[in-house]
Amino acid sequence: MQQYMKMVAWVICLSILSGCSKFLDRPLENQGQATKIDYTNLSLMYQPVSGVYRTASSGSFARWIIVALISERSDDIEPGNDDAGQIGIHNFQTDVTVKSYWAVNDMWINLYGVALAANSALADLDEFAKNIPASDAENTRLLARYRAEARYFRAMAHFWVGRLYGAVPILGLESNDTKGLAGAKKSSIEDVKNYVITEMDTCIADLEDARPNEATHMGGVTKYTALMLKAKAAMDLAGNDNGSPYWDVVLDCTNQIVASGKFSLFEDYYQLWKNPGKLSNESILEFQYSDFGAESGDIVTSGSNPNETWANFFLFQGPENSVGGVINGSGWMVPTQRAVDFLTARNDSIRLKTVIQYCGVDGATDTYATTPDGDVVSGNAGGRKYFNGKAYFPISQMTPGRTDYYGANNNIRIYRYADVLLMNAEAKIRKGQNGDAQINEVRNRVGLSSLTNANLEQLLDERHAELICEWWGERFNDLLRTDQAATVLPGFTKGRSEYIPLPQAQEDANSNLLAP
Amino acid sequence: MNRKLMQASAILLLLLGTLLSVQAQNRVITGKVVNDKNEPLAGASVVVKNKTTTGTTTSPGGTFSLNLSATDDSLLVTAIGYAEQTVAILNDIQIRLVPSSSQMEEVIVIGYGTQKKGDLTAPVTTVNTENMLKRTTATPMEALQGSVPGVQVVSSGAPGSSPNVRIRGVGSFNNENPLYVVDGMFVNDIGFLNPNDIAEMSILKDASGAAIYGVRAANGVVLITTKKGRLNMKTAVTYNGYVGIQTPANRLKMADGAQYTAFSLGRQSVQDSGTARLSAEKYGGSGFSPTTSTDWYDELLRDEALITNHGIDLLGGSDKVTYSAGFNYTYQNGIMDAKNDFKRYNIRLQMEAKAFSWLKLGFTAHLTNSTTFNPNNGAFAQAYSSSPLFPVYDSSNTNAFPVKFTAASPIGRPDDANPVASVYYNYDRVKAFQVLPTVYAEASFWKNKITFRSQLGQLYSSLSRIQYTPRFNLGPGANENARSHLTSTQERNTNYVLDNLFTYKDGKGAHHWTLLLGESTREERWRQTQVGADNVPDVEESWYVDQGTPDASYYSENGSRNANISFFTRGTYDFDNKYLLTATFRADGSSKYQTKWGYFPSIGLGWVISRENFMADQKIFDFLKLRGSWGKLGNDGVNPNAAYAEVHQGNDYSAIFGSTPTANGQYIPGYTVNRYFTNLGWEVVTEWDGGVDFEVLNNKLKGSVDYYNRKTNGTAFDAPLPSTYQLIYGNWGDMVNSGFDVVLNWSDRIGKVGYQIGGNFSTLKNRVTDLGTISTITSGFPEWTAEFPNRSMVGQPINYFYGYQFVGVYQTQDEIDKDPIATSYNATAASPIQPGFPKYQDQDGNGILDNKDRINMGSYVPKLTYGFNLGLDYKNFDFSIAFQGVAGNKILNLNRGKLYKASTSLNIDQEFASNLWTGAGSTNSYPSAYALGSGWFKVSNSFFVESGAYLRIQNIQLGYNFKVGNTSPIALRVFATADRPFIFTKYNGFTPEIGLYTGAGYPVYGYDANVYPISASYTFGVRASF
Repeated sequence: MQQYMKMVAWVICLSILSGCSKFLDRPLENQGQATKIDYTNLSLMYQPVSGVYRTASSGSFARWIIVALISERSDDIEPGNDDAGQIGIHNFQTDVTVKSYWAVNDMWINLYGVALAANSALADLDEFAKNIPASDAENTRLLARYRAEARYFRAMAHFWVGRLYGAVPILGLESNDTKGLAGAKKSSIEDVKNYVITEMDTCIADLEDARPNEATHMGGVTKYTALMLKAKAAMDLAGNDNGSPYWDVVLDCTNQIVASGKFSLFEDYYQLWKNPGKLSNESILEFQYSDFGAESGDIVTSGSNPNETWANFFLFQGPENSVGGVINGSGWMVPTQRAVDFLTARNDSIRLKTVIQYCGVDGATDTYATTPDGDVVSGNAGGRKYFNGKAYFPISQMTPGRTDYYGANNNIRIYRYADVLLMNAEAKIRKGQNGDAQINEVRNRVGLSSLTNANLEQLLDERHAELICEWWGERFNDLLRTDQAATVLPGFTKGRSEYIPLPQAQEDANSNLLAP
Repeated sequence: MNRKLMQASAILLLLLGTLLSVQAQNRVITGKVVNDKNEPLAGASVVVKNKTTTGTTTSPGGTFSLNLSATDDSLLVTAIGYAEQTVAILNDIQIRLVPSSSQMEEVIVIGYGTQKKGDLTAPVTTVNTENMLKRTTATPMEALQGSVPGVQVVSSGAPGSSPNVRIRGVGSFNNENPLYVVDGMFVNDIGFLNPNDIAEMSILKDASGAAIYGVRAANGVVLITTKKGRLNMKTAVTYNGYVGIQTPANRLKMADGAQYTAFSLGRQSVQDSGTARLSAEKYGGSGFSPTTSTDWYDELLRDEALITNHGIDLLGGSDKVTYSAGFNYTYQNGIMDAKNDFKRYNIRLQMEAKAFSWLKLGFTAHLTNSTTFNPNNGAFAQAYSSSPLFPVYDSSNTNAFPVKFTAASPIGRPDDANPVASVYYNYDRVKAFQVLPTVYAEASFWKNKITFRSQLGQLYSSLSRIQYTPRFNLGPGANENARSHLTSTQERNTNYVLDNLFTYKDGKGAHHWTLLLGESTREERWRQTQVGADNVPDVEESWYVDQGTPDASYYSENGSRNANISFFTRGTYDFDNKYLLTATFRADGSSKYQTKWGYFPSIGLGWVISRENFMADQKIFDFLKLRGSWGKLGNDGVNPNAAYAEVHQGNDYSAIFGSTPTANGQYIPGYTVNRYFTNLGWEVVTEWDGGVDFEVLNNKLKGSVDYYNRKTNGTAFDAPLPSTYQLIYGNWGDMVNSGFDVVLNWSDRIGKVGYQIGGNFSTLKNRVTDLGTISTITSGFPEWTAEFPNRSMVGQPINYFYGYQFVGVYQTQDEIDKDPIATSYNATAASPIQPGFPKYQDQDGNGILDNKDRINMGSYVPKLTYGFNLGLDYKNFDFSIAFQGVAGNKILNLNRGKLYKASTSLNIDQEFASNLWTGAGSTNSYPSAYALGSGWFKVSNSFFVESGAYLRIQNIQLGYNFKVGNTSPIALRVFATADRPFIFTKYNGFTPEIGLYTGAGYPVYGYDANVYPISASYTFGVRASF
């Protein structure tokens, strides 16, 4: 009998042990929480927008490989190295070498990453919107402005992807959902540009009427940034057709920017690219970075994360230099001899001094050159003669002791007023008006004499010189839209070479992209 | 109420509240047990029949003595490897045991219990621990390589690293490693165990065996019980030790300086000729003919690295208490010539006491203390690629400090590392300790028919890792490490498993049955803290973040908690040991997923044909059994899933505003939301197994054959999301693994020579059968997924290598002109196809090399794994040799593949360099040096995919056994062992064993990027027992 008592005791014990509740239902440890954001606290409303700016400025538009791929299609910049994919893009190949080149996919993903970040922010702004009472005019206005800032970046991403790949999907709010994103369909080249124009119309109405360096969030997107993007999209659509109504759009937008009187060219073209030129009155869009003036610790660069030292915009364009200390990089984005000759031939000495910096004597090892700021740069084994002066940042301007990040603390200039002036002049000339005032404003800044009754050819020549060796593909796009690409660029075939082929990985992941 | 407190009080309850009962004993007999050669048998068990509580084990001299009561009438004598005998009680008897001819009487460990091998309905493999100990490996699973059918072991050469273990294929994209159960405690890896501590090891391969472990069982289960003493056993002491050297096997030869110069000039790039010229100028030679030729592998590898192991083991027991203790020390130096070794101390303690006739209390504890110096594995990859044209050291390198290493920048190769410097400036030490205590109480009632057992297994481990990079400079043009950096990581695991088991075992006539009811509670917690600082002095005692410049961005913390509650049951029934039935069921609740509960049933049937009357007259089969089983197994190795959008906040998600000439700019707080997620559940494997066990020709030939079919439903993997790098983790697909496991063993004697030949093989067919709405999944080695993708699609094996089929080399311009693919490519390419360029198959014949021409280039999963062994014994000598190999798998040689992204000449292996195409008819297997730099060569193609088949002599051992002393002799065994002395493979790399790579946070297999070379080891050892 006693034995059975013991058995009963065991069974009781077991049932006590099994009575565990809540044991399985606790939340996972150390996982981000979606519910943490207090949407009723409207002072947090700018946070998702700040997140979009960060996505746009780190690891995206100014990401090293994207910058390289965009630039090397022009006749200004050499390919970074003889990587098969880069050479393929440079030569306008559209075959497997290019399609399965990792960077073609990387560029797609990182540019669309900005659009997706903006979509995500817009969804969060909708959450804040629910907590804004109808009577709260101030927050209603801020909400509209913040939405417009996010939408600006979404449109800019589409604009870039469209310029690079042609017909591409437009990713709207539906792509906040996995299924919506996975099934995206392509839109035509024109539809993408028109989408940008329509989006900008909304943004222009809601954005701050201020120069970016006067914006509440200093350097943020304002009405004028949106006007410029709209003008760019319109200019692409206008193409080489002087009769295109889109020239009216270009003219109207750029006129508004000029007429605002808020913008002026930074007087020193050489310093425009250096510390004194940060967020100047010429700046329409600039990505901002900082090393907070400290020799180590927190830093924000164009790399996807702070540890991606080599991905830093300035470092990858820095010369391979055996003597320059911190001025030592991968030596990419080398100006072509053609660019040097072009500037030399037109006696464009200030631009030449600014854009072309030298690696020793003709790039030979054990020879040295000195920059206008007194930094010494050696030659290199690859025999590269030049490095890109628009990305040169003198040691004297860098934070002392910051040795890992050449160019730290400098911003990246994306859009500037000089471009607006030239777009304005072009629209005028194409419409039979006189664009001299705008062209000459640009010319006089770099010490060139004024032109009278400048024609389209002179304008395009000036445009080439002013924007030479900049990173955003303007030179290639100008050749494309003025129908000169096939004559100027070796290997370019009209009808086939305008766009980089869609990444194989994207077609693999979404079969809708296979549609013509 | 606090649940832990409840558990503690419950256990206390179990230990109290009962009474003691003692039986009188009133006569003493003595005796001796000998084997068939009349040699004394030590360690045989002698118990009173039907009264297992009275018994003893024999001394090293084979003798025993027993206290018996008047009613005892016969003794049951058993010893492992011998047939059991029942003898009448006589004083001073000599009992002669004959070797058991059948394995079927053997009692083996199964999930939550034991069973006679003959009664099993599942293919459970018991590991021959004696053969296992012949292998001189630091970790136990490595020692099983090639010896268990259906179990593939992929070892790594790095000291202290555990191998990858795969049981019956790959059923999951997530984890392949089986569940290990050590004395009832669940662990993920048994690298901490000393192989000598293992008494029994069973491998549960099918659902009938493993389903009792439910959600953890999908990859198979390895059950381990460690050594225990026995009642009334005279203390047995064993010393085990060996010492030996390891030496790199199958050394890879790289192109030397002259070969490198030749092919790099063949690429015809400015940078490459610059390198040759500069090397000649700076380090010797003339013009474009440098004389430097650094063999980086030679610089990196030690020729001889020490491996040694010493262990002492005690087993013993009185009439109420059994105990055992073990102490072991293992040291393994790495073959990389750097601070790279592994040191481990193990302590094992075990005690079991019969508190009352019906209650046993016991504990076992494993203490492990180890120090590992991790090598910089990346250096092996660097050694593959770095140009041989610069020396290791250069005393004239003025900027270099603290050591005058050379950088490759002066010869125009800023991307090349100096591998010796990479290794030298690497300090990565992991100190870990682990305590694995298990306590249990077991109560038996009703003539031992009913048993209750409560067991609490725990695992406490702690790890401290120090990574230190000193301040150093490799000279002009090389990246200077301007600040020393310290990373210090602390980790802690606290896991426990609490099992409560009820077992009922009974029978009537020819009917026998058992019933198991069980409940198990499990919780696993892990927490990791990492801190870092710059400018920490180069003195080990100062390696604390406060001694340098700490930075919040170096700090991180991570952790996880998983909890499970399970209920399970098993019933077995047999009629006359002829018709066998096993049924199990487990319900598992997990905190990891949105679906909390999973249910895992299984059923197994067996028919022992040899016991049928109609088999009585035949002479061929001594034993024949048919088995069949079906069941479901779970895999919760699936990542935990939050199933909600996650918010990322902090500086990394905030933009800078106001960065002007005069202001540094400030963060405006920002965040981003990751909106893409899914609901997730565990993976479920449904397995069928059919098998036959047989023993024929007087038990000389034994074997078994099994066919298995495992279907994984809802296998979880990351599906790529277009336009993002994000992968969406979900239960997207199904896959099937099927194949045969076959094992055969023959043993016999010819005169004085005993011999044994054994072999096993296992086939595997892996197919993805469903991917939901996704047509294909593309994945690959991190940073190389675009260039060398692998793919999964329905009807193909998991993660097969995907690309073009390399079919040869264009020999002449004429051949190019006639080939539509080449013609269409050359029409636009700036760098056209020339003779010496590779040729790819136009699969669809459309004349253009496009997406549709990419094919399955092979899979990393071997179609066949096998092993065979031979053993001989003659008098006191014994000799054994074991082979193992795999076939039917492919390796993507990413070392060669790195040429893809290289803009300048990376070094290549000598085989490659000396076979490059040099003119029409020279070779059809390798392209020309010039083609290496061309875009045409740089596509994923089968040139980079090589066979991973190999056959290796895994182990050779020669042993000699003798005795020292007369009265209580010491049994000695001395042995010489060669481990992994030879490998036969065509693979162009250090080793065809390519383990798991997890550097990107997801498992990647089959890409050879930087593998630690496997070494051969030659050891001499001694085992002494007294």
